[in-house]
Amino acid sequence: MAYGVTQQMIDTYGETVFKLSLNKQTRRGDAVRLLDFEAIEAARAETGLTDEEIAERIGLLPEQVSVVRVFTERKHHKIDQHRRIFHLGGGKRWKKEEYSNPVERLHIRKEAMMIREALNFNPELAQRYIEKGYWINETLNGYLLEHAINTPDATAIIHPGGDLTYKEFKTQVDQLTIGLMELGLGKSDIVAVQLPNILDFIVSYFAITAFGGVMQTIHMPYRDADIEFLLGHSKARAVICLPAFKEFPTADVMLGMKEKLGSLEHVITIGNNASEGAVALESLKIEGEPNIGNPPVGSDPFLLLYTSGTTSNPKGVPLTYQNMIGNARLSVPEFHMTASDRNISAAPFSHLYGLYNFHVALCAGATNILLPAFSPPDLARTIEETKATTVFLGPPHAASMINAGLMEAHDFSSVRFSMFSGSACPPQLLETYRSNIPGTKIGQLWGMTETAGATYCRDDGAEDIPLRSAGPAAPGNEVRIVSGEDGAPLPAGTEGDLQVRGSSVFPGYLDNPEANADAFTEDGWFKSGDLAIIDDDGNLTLTGRTKDVISRGGVKFNPADIEDLIIQHPKVEQAAMVPMPDPVLGEKACCFVTLLGEEKVTLDELCSLLDDKKISKNKWPERLEIIDEMPLTPTRKVIKRRLIEKL
Amino acid sequence: MAEEFNPEEVKKACESYVKKKGALAFGLANVETLERIAPPGCGPLSMLPKTKSVLCVGVGGGTRGSWAADAKTLAYIGDTETMAYRIAYGLAFYIEAKFGYRSIFVPPDMNPEKGARVPMQSLKLHAEVAGIGARSMAGDILLHPEFGMMYYASVFTEMELPPDEPMADNPCPHPSCVTLYEQSGQTPCMRFCPVECLSGSIGEDGKVEEMNFDAHACAEMSQQYEAIPSVLLDTLDAKDPIERGMALHGPENQVIWYKLSIGAGELLSLCYECMRVCPITQTAPMANPVARGAGMRQKVVEAEAAARVEHEAEQNGVKGG
Ligand code: SF4
Ligand code: SF4
Repeated sequence: MAYGVTQQMIDTYGETVFKLSLNKQTRRGDAVRLLDFEAIEAARAETGLTDEEIAERIGLLPEQVSVVRVFTERKHHKIDQHRRIFHLGGGKRWKKEEYSNPVERLHIRKEAMMIREALNFNPELAQRYIEKGYWINETLNGYLLEHAINTPDATAIIHPGGDLTYKEFKTQVDQLTIGLMELGLGKSDIVAVQLPNILDFIVSYFAITAFGGVMQTIHMPYRDADIEFLLGHSKARAVICLPAFKEFPTADVMLGMKEKLGSLEHVITIGNNASEGAVALESLKIEGEPNIGNPPVGSDPFLLLYTSGTTSNPKGVPLTYQNMIGNARLSVPEFHMTASDRNISAAPFSHLYGLYNFHVALCAGATNILLPAFSPPDLARTIEETKATTVFLGPPHAASMINAGLMEAHDFSSVRFSMFSGSACPPQLLETYRSNIPGTKIGQLWGMTETAGATYCRDDGAEDIPLRSAGPAAPGNEVRIVSGEDGAPLPAGTEGDLQVRGSSVFPGYLDNPEANADAFTEDGWFKSGDLAIIDDDGNLTLTGRTKDVISRGGVKFNPADIEDLIIQHPKVEQAAMVPMPDPVLGEKACCFVTLLGEEKVTLDELCSLLDDKKISKNKWPERLEIIDEMPLTPTRKVIKRRLIEKL
Repeated sequence: MAEEFNPEEVKKACESYVKKKGALAFGLANVETLERIAPPGCGPLSMLPKTKSVLCVGVGGGTRGSWAADAKTLAYIGDTETMAYRIAYGLAFYIEAKFGYRSIFVPPDMNPEKGARVPMQSLKLHAEVAGIGARSMAGDILLHPEFGMMYYASVFTEMELPPDEPMADNPCPHPSCVTLYEQSGQTPCMRFCPVECLSGSIGEDGKVEEMNFDAHACAEMSQQYEAIPSVLLDTLDAKDPIERGMALHGPENQVIWYKLSIGAGELLSLCYECMRVCPITQTAPMANPVARGAGMRQKVVEAEAAARVEHEAEQNGVKGG
């Protein structure tokens, strides 16, 4: 450095020089005005010296003092101090506690940036969604606040422990928000939740997102291996769970994860007491109003859901408020949902569908009824007791209530609209369900974790539509069918690959470049992996999965139809066909079945059934595996990759 | 000319010149005193070796409205220093033309070679020694009991005129500030400074005992000439592209480029919260241009003096009680 100045010299003399200079000034009394020359002289070092005077005092050259001083000043200099000027005057007085430096206030941890970096929307589409009003600045807690102010006494939640008004609900959320923030959680930090549809789930959800956090859901049936994968992949900083679930020691497993995964810092269990190393959720409820410096906004990610992983490892799907809450808000008028509705979800909140319908009711200011865990009698009884008006369920929920005679035994007359989603909807089942509730409307919804509610029947559409289709695209979305061969769009009524594009469609998988590389077309269509037909009116009917396709000697077929036939065999309970490698043909079909009884079925028996049904030979299974239990996702989809692993 | 030269008359002529031009206060500082107090190389003789007199003018601050505006507006419109400079510049010409003595308008610039915040000449010291301002608790900003806060400018001349004395009293701290200090340990200027760069104490006698001013903190907020090199260095140092971009384009820095590109005005003045809350600045009778314009000066001065007497009597009463 120039003038013989070293970093050591700057370090040694810097602060002394800084203090002796006019950077720091102290005046005692009023010596200059009083012309008290002696006092002036005595106080020179305090009132501030020139570089020459400092040099003289401390034994450096004046030029060296300048260098030392300038570098020390730079060390002290905070360039954005002058932002403070924007907070002064015009009737405002400086209040330290009301000011925070925006750079510090809006800081997001490096690890938490991962999910923000996964938000990779197509810019032209984003512009369109904003212009059309599909994407606005709305948040989950924004709706809560709005209702807590405008309709504080309206019932927000009905749960087994009682009712909660919007105001009471907001108070609980505020309290937990403070506690979670006191743990040091902040914007875009991921907090996992493994809870049933209980009040703690919902309060946690709102509290996590109130300070800008992201909720990751973990399905209740998930155990060690799945949990480890999910928490490891998301790098969640905290998890909120039950102390134990049936035989599963949830808290112990989560504490084990904390040891194992460097990213998991807090295990929070519901209730007043927690085992050693965990935190009790109730202890995090702190009276007051949270002071949120970096509040969530519409473009923020707030949910991290994982695909069920039928064909591969689960994939992380980050969703923004604009995706998810926009989708719900736009659904409100389509279902004529109003503040007087009472909505119940048979689906778990750990799934998109469960949260979706909760959001729709929230946007409308309606009441959400919590069903902690589905059982046919509990659902039927709760609908009757709470006089639910809208029900979001899956065909198996309806089937089990019908089979148990619960629909006749209970009064469902309050239900004005029921929406079905989650798995194939046999028309007969829907018809029976509808005939049990005179005057009610039904609908089907098709959505994926990646798309939110992509298409659905409206509550005022033609009566036959819901029996055969999941309706037209949701507002803000488009669906199309393309050829599996060349991606060319296909005309109405033709089966092909289903693609969806729109404001509710996710921005790409979290930290998964391989999956992202093939997820979208160049112009932003998401390749759903489903096969479907769209009729002339735009109504969508699902027909199978593209990725289930088995390619025998290059001739591809979808095994869904064959599986449907095989389960008609009197000895077979469930059936699933997967491709197995073949040196000659590339792939052949292997069929996995579970049995209804003790009696075994043979491959020949199945083939002769298919022969009877005139199924071409190339679609016949060429190997049979009888298993005790079919690997299923919590939504009862077969996890075919598990079957492939068994080959 | 020498026989006709009457220093008192000439001094009056200079005063009436500057007041006609809009100055509120005028005084002369003793050159010898300045030489004793200013650091080596910073006295008048270092600039104009045959200086015999230092003439100081004080010009009123912004309008009353500017004190009510927000700080970023005040930072642009609140200062009238260029007016003070214009008057002093004119005065130098006036003296040379009318009386034939060499004179200079004292440049109000910094002398970075001398050190941090070291001016070429301390206009503040000139004005204080000339008796048109006294150091305040607010980082030694000069205050005047009649005009409040002023901007100052000086002229050095080789013409010898009789100097004035520093003010007999310091108006700071205002009695209400003493009361607040006694209650809270802080004066208004200390309390509302946004960077907390002021601290100090008031003695039993109601006078400033100690005043500490973190001039670096005050300047780093409001004087952006210091920020420019920092902004550039931060830009070079930033690893993150967003940080790098914001170092240059952030709203707080864009004002720098704006000011540089229009090439006018200052970068920013001080925030002056200390003066916004200072009772002297806000209530000094002649700090109000309307009062000045209406020729109410004498009346207001008298009223103020009466109020002071009354206040002091009250204070004494309280203390006595
Ligand atoms: S000008 Fe502003 S920063 Fe400087 S001392 Fe006054 S109040 Fe503090
Ligand atoms: S507010 Fe004004 S009068 Fe009061 S102590 Fe501060 S500078 Fe002095």
